[in-house]
Amino acid sequence: MKTENKFYVILFTFTITFVFVVILSYINSLTYDKVLENRGYFKVRAILNAMRIDFSDKMDAIEKFKKYVKKINIGGKDFYVSNVGEKVYAYVFSGNGLWGTITGVVALNKNLDRIVGVDIISQNETPGLGGRIEEDWFKEQFRGEKVDKEIGIKKSEKLGDSNKENYSVDAITGATLTSKFFVKIINNTISEMRKVLRGDTYE
Amino acid sequence: MNKYKEIFFKNVWYENPVFVLVLGICSTLAVTNNLKNTLIMTIGVLLVTGFSNLTVSLLKSFIPGKVRMITQVLIISFYVIIVDIVLRAYLPDVSKALGPYVGLIITNCIIMGRAEAFAQSNSPLLSFWDGVTSGLGYMVVLMVIAFFRELFGFGTVFGYRIMPEGFVNWTIMVMPPSAFFMLALFIWIVKGRGNNNA
Repeated sequence: MKTENKFYVILFTFTITFVFVVILSYINSLTYDKVLENRGYFKVRAILNAMRIDFSDKMDAIEKFKKYVKKINIGGKDFYVSNVGEKVYAYVFSGNGLWGTITGVVALNKNLDRIVGVDIISQNETPGLGGRIEEDWFKEQFRGEKVDKEIGIKKSEKLGDSNKENYSVDAITGATLTSKFFVKIINNTISEMRKVLRGDTYE
Repeated sequence: MNKYKEIFFKNVWYENPVFVLVLGICSTLAVTNNLKNTLIMTIGVLLVTGFSNLTVSLLKSFIPGKVRMITQVLIISFYVIIVDIVLRAYLPDVSKALGPYVGLIITNCIIMGRAEAFAQSNSPLLSFWDGVTSGLGYMVVLMVIAFFRELFGFGTVFGYRIMPEGFVNWTIMVMPPSAFFMLALFIWIVKGRGNNNA
């Protein structure tokens, strides 16, 4: 076969690209529902984690989400409200990290002055460095933190800052920029939440 | 059978893609500070190298010389995207942890190197074996480096705490420069053990 013929080269390139793309889109369509379902579950899981509602597995999480969490729209924004114990407001945020968009959830208490919890839905930070914002010790620092003014980051040798009154969390070693961006997103989200929620939430 | 054995030792030891041919260094530096991510990433590379070698070898008599490399990249990306889709659908947490690194397997020069140097001129089964063993050679080196980086950088192995409570983590081990030192040390030790190709 004369494989160096110009026509053959074009035909070959076209055919092989076409075949591979068709196969890929077929595989993609097979798994599309599953991927969507995973994405939905990530969101539900993050909201429950941020609100500190315990669940055992996927089924349980979806059930508890339906049972305890209500989606409400205030001022054109979607908030998630839970009534297990004290009222908790959660908001899904999305903001710029060092490399890409970070989406996640911040949950605030009834008075909007303490964080109930934060969780991350998706991020593209460097695995092993900035990607560690997903680790529990990092997220745990925000739990209960007083936020009537902006919080900042500091460097320390230990893993995590347990003082809830100092308006500060420990940065991730080697990922100061990601930590800085993340805290900035959290601060912005909280002030955004206050702006929208204050007024009609103080009983 | 001897041929298979020969390829195995060649790819894992005498002509190891990382410490002898010094290929795939970007990912060696980037992902090796955590054993779990390293393991999954290298399994991905192993599968992609194997299957793209197999496919290149099967198609080699149809591939025109002029578009040879483009076709190889196409085949490699095809398998990488499949790995990505499978992880996204069935191992979402792992996919989340690895983030952009799965897509970057495409740019790993070991895969293209094996397709060009081996699969273009060998039979399909032999090429598949060559790809798998090259991936294995890559995996062994990365896992050793990741083991020491995670142990000293985080005090853990596969996420389990090994070092005593008072151990101060060596921050440098988490950062990319330590991978340079680790790789250099690795090559030095291997050479000292009699692998003169390194």
